[in-house]
Order: sequence, then C-alpha cells, then structure tokens
Amino acid sequence: MESVVTSALQQGLIFAFMALGVFLTFELLGFPDLTVEGTFPLGAAVTARAIIDGANPLLAVLMGALAGGLAGAATGLMHTRLKVNNILAGILTASAIYTVMLRTMGRPNIPLLANENIYGRISGWFNLTENSFSIIIILALITLLVRFLLGWFLNTDLGLAIRATGSNERMIRSLGVNTDNTKLLALIISNFLVGLSGALACQFQGFADVGMGIGVLVAAIASVIAGETIFGGNSLGRLLTGVILGSIVYRGLLALGLRLGLPAEDFKLITAVLVLLVLCLPSLKTTIFWQKDSIAKQPGLSAQPSDKTGREGDA
Amino acid sequence: MIKLTGIEKYFFAGTPNAIKALDSINLEIKQGDFITLIGSNGAGKSTLLKAIAGVINVDAGKIEIEGEDVTGQAEHVRARDIGRIDQDPMASTAAELSIEENLAMAYLRGQRRGLAKAVSTRRTAIFQEALQVIGLGLENRLKVPVGTLSGGQRQALALVMATIARPKLLLLDEHTAALDPNAAKLVMGITEQVVSGNKLTTIMITHNMEQAIRYGNRLIMMHRGRIILDFDASEKKDLTVPALVNKFTSTSGAVFDDDRVLLA
Repeated sequence: MESVVTSALQQGLIFAFMALGVFLTFELLGFPDLTVEGTFPLGAAVTARAIIDGANPLLAVLMGALAGGLAGAATGLMHTRLKVNNILAGILTASAIYTVMLRTMGRPNIPLLANENIYGRISGWFNLTENSFSIIIILALITLLVRFLLGWFLNTDLGLAIRATGSNERMIRSLGVNTDNTKLLALIISNFLVGLSGALACQFQGFADVGMGIGVLVAAIASVIAGETIFGGNSLGRLLTGVILGSIVYRGLLALGLRLGLPAEDFKLITAVLVLLVLCLPSLKTTIFWQKDSIAKQPGLSAQPSDKTGREGDA
Repeated sequence: MIKLTGIEKYFFAGTPNAIKALDSINLEIKQGDFITLIGSNGAGKSTLLKAIAGVINVDAGKIEIEGEDVTGQAEHVRARDIGRIDQDPMASTAAELSIEENLAMAYLRGQRRGLAKAVSTRRTAIFQEALQVIGLGLENRLKVPVGTLSGGQRQALALVMATIARPKLLLLDEHTAALDPNAAKLVMGITEQVVSGNKLTTIMITHNMEQAIRYGNRLIMMHRGRIILDFDASEKKDLTVPALVNKFTSTSGAVFDDDRVLLA
C-alpha cells in the first residue's frame, strides 16, 4: 500500500503540471489543444539531450519546458495568424514534433540512469540522499510554486483577459483586447507546463522516449475532471488546487489497479471509457430522464454544446 | 465629432444574391447626441452599427471619430472609443466570470493589460459606486458569477461596463429587445439615466417607434441601406407613431412591414 501512495504522489505531482496546462487551454480558454501529445515527450527529449551534453539538470529541465512553450507558440501562430483550425493546428505541431524529437535525440530513446538528475541535484543542496521521499518533497515544492504563480497570473488584468477570451471572446474583443494574442499567450504557458511535466517525468524515469506521449492527453483530461468533480468549487484557486489533487488521485487509481493485478495494457482503454462516461453524463441524463436542466458548464470539456447562458435567476 | 462619409457595404458581392446593405450613408453626429435609429427589417441598422464599431469592414467610405480616420482600424483598436451592447444578454458579459471581474475588464477598455491585480481594493470601490447608480443592489454581489443573473440584470451590468471607461460613443443594438416587458422598461430607465448622466454620445437601435420618439434628441430612420428620415429634437418633439408611419410610407414608397414595430 505504501508503494501505491508513493507512486500516486510522485507520478501525480509530475503529471499535475500537464493537467494544469490542459486545464488552462481546454477549460479556461476553450481551446482543445492537441499539441500536448507531442509537447510532453518533446520536453523529455530536449531535457535528455541537454543532460547527455553535460548541462546542469536544472537548466536541462528548464530547456525542456521552454521547448514546450515554443511548440505552443507554433500552434498558436498557426491558428491565430494563419487561421488554421485549432484542432488541426495542434495535430500539425504534434506531428512535426516527432521529427524534432528524433533529430534532437539522434535516436528513439535516451537512457539517463547513469547521469545525475534534477532530484539528486536538489537533494544534494540540502545534504539529503535522493530517495522517493525527497523526490516527493521537491516535486511538491515546485508544484506549490507553479500553483501559486498560476493563481496569481490568472487574476491579473492579462490573466483575466485570457479567461475572458474563453468565456466570451466577442465581448472581450469589444473591450479592446486582441484575442489572437491572448490565445497565443495561453498556448505558450500551457505547453510550457506540459513540457515541464515531460522534463520532470524523464528525469524521474531515467530515460526519454519518443513514444512516451501516447495517451497522456486523455490521462490529463481524466485528472482535470477528477479534480473538478471531487475537489472543485466555483473559485479559480480551488479549481487549480483540485486539478493537482485530481492528478494525484488519478495516478493513485492507476497504481492501485496495477497493485491489484489489472493488466497495464488495458489502462488506456479504461481511462478513455471513463472519461467518455463522465463527459457524457450530463447529456445522458437529459436523454434518459428528460431533464431539461442539465449542468451548464464552462467552455471546454463538457459534451454538451456549452451554452453561455448559465442559470437564469429572477430580475 | 463622429462623421460617416459615403459608407457602402455589400453582402454576397458578385453573386445573384448581392445585397447593398449600406448605401452611401452620410451622417454627422454631434458630441452628446442621443440618436434613436429605427427602420424595417433588413434596413441596415445593425450593419451600420457594426461598421462603426469595426466588427465588419466597409467596402467604401470613411469613418472618422474626432477627426481621426478609423475606417481600417481593427475592432479591438477602435474599442477604446466605442462601448457597445447587443440584443443578446449573453453577448455583452462573460457568464463564468464574476461581476467584479467583468467590470475589471471593462474598466481597462482599450488600455494595455499587464500584471496588475485585476480586482484591487481601489477598483472595487469604483465598481461599487458605478453599480449603485443603477440601483439593482449588484454592488453587494460583486463576487457572484454573471451567469447567475437574469437577462435584465446582465443588460444593466453591460450598460455599466460599456460606460465605466467613458467611451466617446455608445452603440446600443436593440439592447432591450430580448427582455420581458418589465425588465426592458427597467433597462431603458437605466439607459436614459446612464446616457444623460454622462452626456454620452449614443446611437440606439429600437424596434419600438414609441420608444424611438420618446428617447433621445434625434431620430433617424433607415430603409434598404439608406437613411431616409432624420428628425432633430424640435421636429421629433411633436412626432407621433401614426405620423412617423405615414412619413415612412410617403418617403420610401413602401409599406412598413415590421409587425414588431407596429404592434409595439
């Protein structure tokens, strides 16, 4: 059982950065950004290459995250400047990234077990040995920092303009905001976080592989939904924290499943089905029970055509 | 102050369905004018407002605001001068964001948005003061998501948002048409209060002839993309709905075909 908790915390915190990035685009911006399936392994590939070239692990991780941000910028520019459909723009970038990764690494995977990693380096600062406990502490601290920065940013004038772009693009444009720029910025930040997630994952696993991005988007969506459902509330702060906790819960469930002997190869299908069920719940309810008042949700993930009406009170 | 010269706009140009939506529109709007704009369906009223706001580009002509040519400017650039409210109560406010967050976005109309806290104590005080004017008690519900408000409340909030940064021009596109009669009356009252209180230059589209006569100091009627009638304050004072319908029929040679107008 202890190993399940340890694994949930380690994996959950690493993938929490990705979940936060996905939350930013899918939920707040209402932009289904598929770039992230490529951004995650890209972060890992760039970090791995930097490490074997002798870079400081901290710098290597930062480079992985920055590479992610660049991928986000590519999708954002395609969509806003060249008017490519948002899903297609993400797919194009993700596909192109595959080549970038192979070129960066020079081969499909790089083992890093012989090299010092970021967890060892930071543990060393405090004269600790690298073990699962110190890794969790380090990850928790980075998560807290990112959570705090994101919460702060989304409540600034600029952050609010990004959220408004997702909530009512026409309105925020009529208030003088160039929504092309807010979308671009949100995509850069989101993919930076996903790249960071990939970088931290490769440092944790001790290798980078071009295939490590398969299915990570669905897993991130599952984490976001778990977070919103179990911990979420109305306030943005609670949602951000909920997404992080959701990621831990999701990874915990996976670890538990493994522990109980469920075959690992079934997990992606199970996750996909679970996500589908949760997404369809509001519309299933409507069709089965004829309920008119289904849950009106935020722009992004619900299967319902998002109606911007919210609830109508009395005047 | 605002000057439109020879504005033309075609829809479906080059096809058999080509429509001249705006046909050599010339209009000069003085500082502080409150214009009511009326016309039958497809007259080009909304198209005119969209052209002024930059939502659509015109095919010919020139739009000037205080002497500056804004004809080719993007909507978000022009937005610093122009406040706008649509018919749809969902269109002018962001449902998922709170009242204070909506106001914070409107407060920075046309300005650069940086890393300052959007809802600061100083701004909250400004928002509360602005909301008190409309008398709906919204100043006590700043943290409530706008999606939970009624249509009337949302349009009233939209009015405060459109005017809080003192735009040079306010465009109202039938902003009470989607509301029930009571809410519509309430929002019209607030509109008059906000517009006259700030001496805002305003164009208001309405389907209600009686409303068009009652409010504002100038009445303009459009038909098939043209301005066909233009009454100033003194002419407008003695106008009645039947007189206006007659005038329309004699000027345009058409029958006023909008039931909504006649029955209103």
